[in-house]
Amino acid sequence: MSTFIPTVRETFRYKGKEGQLAWIGHRLGGLGTLIFFIIHVVDTSWVYFWPQGYHHAIVLYRSWPFQIGELLLVLLVIYHGLNGLRITLMDWKPTLWRYQRQMTLGTFGLTVLFYIPAFIIMGSHALKNLLGIELF
Amino acid sequence: MDIRLRIRRFNPEVDQESYWAEYDLKDVQPVDRVLDLLEHVKGHIDGTLGLRRSCGHGICGSDAMRINGQNMLACKVLVRNLVQGDKGTIQVEPMLGLPVIKDLIVDMEPFFEHYRAVVPYFINDDPAPERERLQRPAERERFDEGTKCILCAACTTSCPSFWADRTYIGPAAIVQAHRFIFDGRDTAGDSRLAILASEKGVWRCRTIFNCTMACPREIPVTQLIAEVKKAIGKQKP
Ligand code: SF4
Ligand code: FES
Repeated sequence: MSTFIPTVRETFRYKGKEGQLAWIGHRLGGLGTLIFFIIHVVDTSWVYFWPQGYHHAIVLYRSWPFQIGELLLVLLVIYHGLNGLRITLMDWKPTLWRYQRQMTLGTFGLTVLFYIPAFIIMGSHALKNLLGIELF
Repeated sequence: MDIRLRIRRFNPEVDQESYWAEYDLKDVQPVDRVLDLLEHVKGHIDGTLGLRRSCGHGICGSDAMRINGQNMLACKVLVRNLVQGDKGTIQVEPMLGLPVIKDLIVDMEPFFEHYRAVVPYFINDDPAPERERLQRPAERERFDEGTKCILCAACTTSCPSFWADRTYIGPAAIVQAHRFIFDGRDTAGDSRLAILASEKGVWRCRTIFNCTMACPREIPVTQLIAEVKKAIGKQKP
């Protein structure tokens, strides 16, 4: 906590460019994935330890907040992965810094591109689960 | 031009918290520097304003501050770079991550402590040759960027990793270390790499590029940091 609060506070106070935005997204993506994994490990363990709880959790996952949360999570995971590759590439070839703006914007673009099919597939499932509408 | 200059002020002897002070300045020229505006305030409106400056020409590195949210040297940024049209607002605040002493003056000691930690001076205990230690132009070129650093702290205080952990050695110290690590005449490169490979060293860098964007000397700071990372990676265990 002692580092979390100043980091968030100063992030709001400094007007960084796309690099800072990319980093914020990366952190949110990492955090989102971590929370998802924790929830996932805990609820899967319930199959063994607490079967009613597991069924309850499965019902809960079909609710609005979770369905939308999952859609968001996939976006974050795709971004986190692609942005991680970009950073690896830039650390490996330091002179690429000249293209850092283009590469960062490119990562945002690729994320959207990769997200479209996931959004359509998962979104149609969500629609079916929540509203009973079948698209395909 | 009419400029409203908003300055984040704080006097530890009087104020509990910092606050915005506003000064409306008339007849500002587009080619005036932010430093000119600050000096106008200090000279003609409120002499208690605290700021650091020395050379006034981007050489000494003493007037780095946060101008419209980004680190810059007040003596290098012109009003026309910040405000288009004939009126506007300019915000000036102290740099982040270092304790504020008064108004725009921050305590640079923690910054210089990190600087000293990388042994930022030439080391070679071999007997000196009769004349100078020769170097080819390409060898000199290898560490040229780092020699331009004026230790203004704009990079280090723009770095989210430094905001998170003030013990992170920071971009400026790495730039300084780079200058000697890649100087073929220096012999202490390995000990500098060992310092930078530590927990508080280069691996805290997340390749965010705030430092590169902030550097008033246009040093490709992130590139130099990545080169040090690679040099550490190539070291034999
Ligand atoms: S690297 Fe640039 S921003 Fe950092 S201290 Fe040196 S001159 Fe200032
Ligand atoms: S006053 Fe010396 S760098 Fe600005």
